[in-house]
Amino acid sequence: MDKMTPPERFQAVLMGEKPDRVPVVPFILGFCTKIVGMPLGDFYADGNKSFEAQFMSMRLYGYEQTPMYGYASCGPWEFGGKVGFPYGEGHSAPYVIEHPVNELVDIDKLEVPDSDKPVGGFVEAQKLCDRCVEMGMPGIFQGGSVFTAAAVVAETTKFLKWMKTEPKSAHALLDKVSQMFINQVEYFVNRYGADKCVVFDGGPVEANTVISPQKFEEFAFPYMMKVHKKIREFDIPVTLMHPCADQNLNIPYYIKMRESLNWKGIYAWIFGPETPLKTQIEKFGTHDIIGGNVDPPSIQTRTYQEVVQLCKENIEQGIENPRGFILCPGCEFPPLAEPIKPMAFIDAARQFGVYK
Amino acid sequence: MKILGVSMVSKEEILEGLAKAVIDGDEVKSEELAKKSLEIGIDPYESLMNGCNKGMAKVSDLYELKEMFVPEILLSADAMYAAIDILKPHLKVDASAKKPAKVVIGVAQGDIHDIGKNLVKMMLEVAGFIMIDVGKDVPVDTFVKKTIEEDADIVAISALMTTSMMYMEPVIKKLKENFVKAKVVVGGAPINNDFANKIGADGYGKDAVEAVKVSKKLVGV
Ligand code: B12
Repeated sequence: MDKMTPPERFQAVLMGEKPDRVPVVPFILGFCTKIVGMPLGDFYADGNKSFEAQFMSMRLYGYEQTPMYGYASCGPWEFGGKVGFPYGEGHSAPYVIEHPVNELVDIDKLEVPDSDKPVGGFVEAQKLCDRCVEMGMPGIFQGGSVFTAAAVVAETTKFLKWMKTEPKSAHALLDKVSQMFINQVEYFVNRYGADKCVVFDGGPVEANTVISPQKFEEFAFPYMMKVHKKIREFDIPVTLMHPCADQNLNIPYYIKMRESLNWKGIYAWIFGPETPLKTQIEKFGTHDIIGGNVDPPSIQTRTYQEVVQLCKENIEQGIENPRGFILCPGCEFPPLAEPIKPMAFIDAARQFGVYK
Repeated sequence: MKILGVSMVSKEEILEGLAKAVIDGDEVKSEELAKKSLEIGIDPYESLMNGCNKGMAKVSDLYELKEMFVPEILLSADAMYAAIDILKPHLKVDASAKKPAKVVIGVAQGDIHDIGKNLVKMMLEVAGFIMIDVGKDVPVDTFVKKTIEEDADIVAISALMTTSMMYMEPVIKKLKENFVKAKVVVGGAPINNDFANKIGADGYGKDAVEAVKVSKKLVGV
């Protein structure tokens, strides 16, 4: 049986101590609207509702994930474009209606929001974080990825081509997007204090199914460095990293970032199922917390028993990570999975994740 | 050497040059070579098949090998379209030939991932299909309506998410309900052969090259 409460368990891992068992952070976002009977659109359109749904789900299941706010198409709204919320049939997350950048000249016109107030999605993030911090939980908000945000601030295929045809403009856009993130992070740090903040950084467009590691080095890495340098200066203790999908060829740059910034905080890594836990432990395990990477589609398409088995395999590979392990899926928990599926994670952690 | 008025050396050079321009994503060069090919009397069909298509096939191979990535492929596509635009008006229309097959292509409901769909569309276009692009986040009824309207031979549906792939089967069912004979081809990262069979699709392709193969097979090319 559990010997610690969820906050105690999570705190233990953060402090580098052994908890009673592996904590579970199921990366639940849209999924929890089903638990409370809320339209999925509300979850992203209103930070308060997002908080309530996540808080209820967290209490119901007793997992260690605390509420957070973010989505992959972050960026356009903050720069004056338009995003749609997932109210429509089949929708699963916010989507871009109007890219602020459609032509090269639009890049010059972009105004970088400053750090005195939150903008776009950060307004909703602040509502959620206010409630979290008030209750003693961290405020978790988005601080990237710069590359994915730039790729949706601009019309995506155009941005991808500009890296080759108009590299200067691509850099100018990335620079503005990185400054937007820095300013918004600064706003949250000023509001709550750095020790209450957790930055979430990650995105899918830098996956190697889309760009080469050379392009990552040239266009993603410098701006990720720029933001993280600031995170370090602010002294934010924990940064959640989610290199989404297959980013195996980008791993050397993530290592380089940690090394060249002489990182003193903790990174918690949630790579996709494409990156073996063994590799992650080898590359980051002595300094950082490793999150699991249970295959997200399988959570929806397979049975409870099969998901427990997948979690068991994940736990066995990760539990001995020197700096700690938490059980996670390799990306967002599928919003359409059955309500029993988060239980599969918790049951697996209780059965196979106990520290002797 | 000249045969039938065409200089052989420069013909080969031009076809190879076209293929290379496509691989390099060099729009200016491919346009220039397409024009040149017409000037010296190369059959535009040959330029298309042994120049552009050859280049694009190489591009697919390099993507498979992780030696080329999406930004580079997008530029290759631009280079290829630039050449096609010049060559197309000069293609001889063979009255006895079968009319090219028509494909309605789109991304399943709720899904905005369209990079893969665009690549598949491009490869099918190169292979001679007439493409009707219905875009992304496409409702089930739109697929059905457009297929009937266009009298399409194939419906190609792309889905990148476990949520959106659930909207493939309803398209297939509705097509059947409406007695539409068009074949359905599905693809996208979470899709596999088993899933395609289970929902009653006529074909599945793991990438754009396979998309062309199955589509050709389905229409008997
Ligand atoms: C780029 C990307 C994005 C970009 C998309 C930009 C765009 N305009 O397309 C952005 C940032 C906008 C994005 C957003 C989101 N994404 Co996304 N994204 C990706 C990523 C990394 C790559 C997709 C891609 O373009 N690949 C490159 C192309 C060339 O490959 P492809 O699409 O697979 O296509 C090839 C084949 O599959 C095949 N094919 C494709 N279609 C068809 C059709 C036919 C008929 C045939 C025969 C073949 C075929 O041929 C193609 C060419 O070879 C994938 C990861 C992955 N592994 O796929 C995640 C992924 C698809 N995203 C995911 C998620 C969760 C999201 C978000 C919900 C995140 C969020 N919470 O906000 C949002 C969804 C927004 C929405 N409302 O739909 C998940 C989906 C998980 C699931 N539920 O199944 C993935 C799998 C990441 C992951 N590891 O979990 N994303």
